[in-house]
Amino acid sequence: MLRVLAAVPLGYAVGSLWGMALARILPGDRSQVTIAATLAAFALCAFAAMWAFAARSGWRAFWTLLLMGGLAGAITWLSILVTGRI
Amino acid sequence: MSKSFRQSQSFLHTWSGLVLGWLLFFIFAAGTIAFWREGLNRWMRPELPRVEQPEVVLAGAQRFLQGKAPDAKSWFITMPSDRLPGAQIFWQPQPKEGEKPRRRRGRDTQALIGASGDAVTARDTRGGEFFYRFHFDLHYVPVIWARWLVGLAAMMMLVAILSGIVTHKKIFKDFFTLRRGKGQRSWLDGHNATAVLALPFHLMITYTGLVTLMAMLMPWAIVANYAERDRFYDAVFAEPEAVERANQPAPLVNLVGVVRDAEKRLGGPIGYIDISEPGDSSARITLSRSGTSMLSARVPSLVYDGASGRMLWQSPEPGGATVTAGAMVGLHAGRFADAGLRWIYFLCGVAGSVMVASGMVLWVVKRREKLPDPARPHFGFRLVERSNVGILAGFPLGTACMFWANRLLPVGMQDRAQWEVHTLFLAIAFSIIYACVRRPAQAWVALLGATGALLCALPVYNMVGTPSGLFAMIAQGDYVMAGADLTVFVFGLAFGAVALRVSRYRPAEKRKRAARSVPATAMPALEPAE
Repeated sequence: MLRVLAAVPLGYAVGSLWGMALARILPGDRSQVTIAATLAAFALCAFAAMWAFAARSGWRAFWTLLLMGGLAGAITWLSILVTGRI
Repeated sequence: MSKSFRQSQSFLHTWSGLVLGWLLFFIFAAGTIAFWREGLNRWMRPELPRVEQPEVVLAGAQRFLQGKAPDAKSWFITMPSDRLPGAQIFWQPQPKEGEKPRRRRGRDTQALIGASGDAVTARDTRGGEFFYRFHFDLHYVPVIWARWLVGLAAMMMLVAILSGIVTHKKIFKDFFTLRRGKGQRSWLDGHNATAVLALPFHLMITYTGLVTLMAMLMPWAIVANYAERDRFYDAVFAEPEAVERANQPAPLVNLVGVVRDAEKRLGGPIGYIDISEPGDSSARITLSRSGTSMLSARVPSLVYDGASGRMLWQSPEPGGATVTAGAMVGLHAGRFADAGLRWIYFLCGVAGSVMVASGMVLWVVKRREKLPDPARPHFGFRLVERSNVGILAGFPLGTACMFWANRLLPVGMQDRAQWEVHTLFLAIAFSIIYACVRRPAQAWVALLGATGALLCALPVYNMVGTPSGLFAMIAQGDYVMAGADLTVFVFGLAFGAVALRVSRYRPAEKRKRAARSVPATAMPALEPAE
């Protein structure tokens, strides 16, 4: 049950947050980078969901995904603080 | 990690597949049929002759609109071609003072211009559009909910495919293994063969399917970079500056000439024509290239002055990521594909539908052996088993019934197009009820057999009851219509063959092995159980 929770909502959140982070840190034209990050985010969601079931325990999956999402969220937040949005 | 990793992924594969399996089956099967969307649009209006001269139709469309809505706010014309039933046109009246412009296209502001260049009325049907819409909008549910649900199913599918790859360590060996008539093994082999055969297709179609809905499913990267969404869209989809209506009458140039010029400049056929303020000196004609002529779904467009016919604006070269996303959407829809490639798309889609269906059946077959008391399975097991029959056999039956409804419902019937669609779902509802009151083995045979008979009889009816029977169409060289008839017939035979195999199957109970009374039919790998 914990794994399902980790895989579905958390997996989506991790993919989305890394999509945001990538959209912030990749170099290039903003609109193009935004699209590229969106395209990649779906794969990241899938890998996060797979990891949720591959981890040794449900808790472990939960915490690592939370940490990964937090990291991406922090990158996004800091980057927006520094350079702002369009 | 290898063994436990694989086991964990096996569990994930089974459950992510099961939870949304039936929905995925609908999506896959409807999407597969939707590859013939344009063909079905014609086939389901058999009274309309084929468009031979698109320019005659286009000129007719302009004539019609000039007579019907000379001072409309805008006109919209789908460029006719021999693949379409004609030119579908819409117009939007000038908004009245203080009234919000109508966003939905009303019935009273559209028409179909047929091969002769005059407005025609065909039977009211949604044609292939139904399958296209049902594929991602479902039916009877609000569109937004449906798309989220479909998006979730697609995500599950992606996970199921990836974990499925991990689960099958002997992926290539498995592909060449098809143990016929061996119950569970056969189902597993069938599942593997259809999955691996078209694996690149499944992976591609699932991922690109997510991309088609990306603005809704994954808006977060846009949020990260843009304070306002519109700025992102402005940056990606450049548009010419809007012009105010001048209120000076000026006749619209001949659209045929503009289309010829635009096709030369864009290097391919035109798909859509949009005219704003026709008959005014501020008229603008926007033409976009047809998605059938290029891979990317982000088609370039041109804007012409409506009064002088001069080209005013050209859509800028799209960026690399835009083209990538556009190509992914294009790959998904397969509109660019010519007849041969379209068939490969279709067959891969059939394989995908069989993959989902056989996976669902496999779930039942596998668990039956492990039941504590196989004669009296628990409720959850029975639910999946019966729903499998009702849904997996019900959708093909429903489709066959819908095609018949398209032929038989009276032309003057109120909400006729809606009732064609209701017929499909009534047949599925009937199938589910039938599956609940009969033994599964019986229900499979009856439903699949009925589907086969209905499909096989359709081309025969078409020869008698419509002007576009098989031989007439072959004689005219109209292979869209003839091909649809033949395809329906072949599918009818295939469903009949599967029904026959199921009816002849004798479960291996007598062999002192675990009782299995499920009809493990040893379905050959490519039997279209769409």
